Amino acid sequence: VAVARPPPSPPRIEVRPATRSPRLNLLRTGRRTDDQRSWWGLLYLLPALGLVLPFKFVPLVSGFVDSLWHLVDVGGAGQFVGFGNYARMVGDPEVVAAFANVGRVVLTLPVWVVSPLLVAFLIHQRTPGWRLFRAVYFLPYMIAPVIVGSIFREILGTSGPLNILLRSVGLGWFAQAWLGGINTALLAVVGVSLWSFFGLGVITYLAGLASLDESVLEAAALDGAGFWRTLLSIVLPMLRPVVSYWAVLCLGGMFIWMFPLLFSLTQGGPGYATMLPEYLVYLTAFQFNDRGYATAIGIVLFAVVSLASFWIVREMYASSVARERA
Amino acid sequence: VTRHKHLLVFAVASVVAISAAGAVSSASAADSGTHTPVTITVFNWGQGGDQYWADANKAFEAKYPWITVKAESVPFEQYLQQEGAYINSKSGPDVMANNVGLELFERKTAYLPINDRLTPDITGQLTTYKWGCENFDTTQPCYGLPQSFQGNVMYYNVKVLQAAGLDPQNPPATWDAFNAACDKIKATGKACIAMGTGSTVAYWDYPEIARNYLDEQGIVDQFKGKIPWTDPRMVNILKRLAEMADKGWFQDSASTIPMLPDGGDVFTSGNAGFIASIVSDVFNWKQWGDAIGNDNLGVMPWPVIDANAPLAHKFSGVEGFVHGVTSWSQHPDEAFLYVAWLAGADNANLFLQEAGGQPINKAFNASLITNSPSFTKIQTLIKDPTLHAGVLLSGKEADALSRGYQQIMLKQITVDQWVQQMQAALVASPEKKP
Repeated sequence: VAVARPPPSPPRIEVRPATRSPRLNLLRTGRRTDDQRSWWGLLYLLPALGLVLPFKFVPLVSGFVDSLWHLVDVGGAGQFVGFGNYARMVGDPEVVAAFANVGRVVLTLPVWVVSPLLVAFLIHQRTPGWRLFRAVYFLPYMIAPVIVGSIFREILGTSGPLNILLRSVGLGWFAQAWLGGINTALLAVVGVSLWSFFGLGVITYLAGLASLDESVLEAAALDGAGFWRTLLSIVLPMLRPVVSYWAVLCLGGMFIWMFPLLFSLTQGGPGYATMLPEYLVYLTAFQFNDRGYATAIGIVLFAVVSLASFWIVREMYASSVARERA
Repeated sequence: VTRHKHLLVFAVASVVAISAAGAVSSASAADSGTHTPVTITVFNWGQGGDQYWADANKAFEAKYPWITVKAESVPFEQYLQQEGAYINSKSGPDVMANNVGLELFERKTAYLPINDRLTPDITGQLTTYKWGCENFDTTQPCYGLPQSFQGNVMYYNVKVLQAAGLDPQNPPATWDAFNAACDKIKATGKACIAMGTGSTVAYWDYPEIARNYLDEQGIVDQFKGKIPWTDPRMVNILKRLAEMADKGWFQDSASTIPMLPDGGDVFTSGNAGFIASIVSDVFNWKQWGDAIGNDNLGVMPWPVIDANAPLAHKFSGVEGFVHGVTSWSQHPDEAFLYVAWLAGADNANLFLQEAGGQPINKAFNASLITNSPSFTKIQTLIKDPTLHAGVLLSGKEADALSRGYQQIMLKQITVDQWVQQMQAALVASPEKKP
């Protein structure tokens, strides 16, 4: 009986971090070395700082300063109002409606997060036709949102193809003014947005799924885990960083990506049913020429998005650290 | 000596010749300096159509060959926002357009006052140009020159009215008669009025109701923010607008589509009896006539609500759009030449014939239009104008009026809530200090 010999242990390869290079080792000795490392670090930071400072930080500070002024005249000095623009927002029903609407949109976040994951997992499972679906789902993302809005403005019109289809299949009772109803307009805008951005979510999840250890999925299958069990108990926990990343993207999108669709679909109407803060900023600044107030709304919008994103990223980081410790 | 004399004469002649040549050369240089080629950019909403503007600019360039006009236009529903981007960045076109009234005044700092450039040969032929001036006073800063005379009428489809058993020669003249006519039109499966929302509610519909509740002083007070929207007169105006929706005068989709171009399509497709529109610029007798036939197009004033109201039988007439020179223009002289040319006699008949516009320059020849009964009738309707309440609404009020009307049509709010929204818009209007 041949006794299987244990395989020879692989040669021990010492992986040396890049910092162990002789040159850097030399740099790490002594105070002079630390100073030089600091300079090198700053040098590496320069390109990023060169972009962030003039194009992010300066406009942000400048915007905040503008938000403290009442600016309605071109070239006019304006009038310093302190936090008056912020106080005005509290009692402004349009601002309240806009932020309430974006709150409603955020409530749909689970759908934005889960639905592309489902489709991505199906594609990853090589469901029949997966190659076609992979392309089809991504295609809408390749169409400019303004074009998407124009297309859906026709499709969702009172006499548009959707209602014609509904009537032709005996669902005429369901046909309605999708973009005109107080209960349907915002949902319609969200639906069109999701249709447009869905493909990016699918591709993002597919990239995450491709990085998973196949043996874990095979083991789950051998243990008899079905589709849902595998998805919920295996895939979802392993993909948590990707899910969090996508959730941050979606959340930011809900606050600041909807503009082209609002512009081409509803212009914030009917009434204020689809008015979102970003569109209100646009109207206030460019139609009503009330730049100080528009900037104040924009600053608040920025703060809300930042806080929400910060919270999600922090949760993502915390869960990642916890997983590594486990 | 003779030889020396000849040399002297030759030298003097040479100096004279060279000096003369230099003088001529200098004169030429000065001339070419005056006519250095310049390109000016003009931004408007293409009122009158692309072909008209192409021909107008061509005619202008023929008269001023050293100036090239670069035209840029967007639909009006996006115009104010894009213009706002230019205004806020203080850069862009040399010439821009705005409707007179608060739309212009809210943007006045984007324009150079042109009073110093105005001469009698420019303004003498204009019926009026005061609506582009502060306090409607031509001695105060004026920000542009008008090209058209504008106002609101109702156009109707003769065949649709006939099919409903109505007499197109005697269209309904009162509110109640109009309601009865609407019932008959609706009975044929058509909408009574083709309608959409947007800024047109403020410009096209509101002033025609307002005439029944405000006298001229009232309209001025409304302009100055002295009349709150809670005033019974203003509330009644909103109630009448709401009544139009409540009575089902519009097609089902009215609240969900913009007036331009979707609301217009309802009329041109023959699915509505009436459309509330304007006499000049766009969506005028020519555009409707081209679409449904000049002989099939009728025109009438808005039906009267209160026959005893002082302005009930008047025409809300006003200067239409004005073009002005932007405050940041690097070519204000050339830009002003263009503005003056647009308001001038050369352009008047071109504007009339190609765009169906109603020129404000008195030099236009109405007899050039022989195939439109509507145009002929409009010349009579506009003879007794009064103040136009619509252009005296602020941008915030115009927007709130349109959005509120959408909500009223969808029964999302009551008239009382609409009143509150309008009052909030008035308070938030920087040009109006109640």
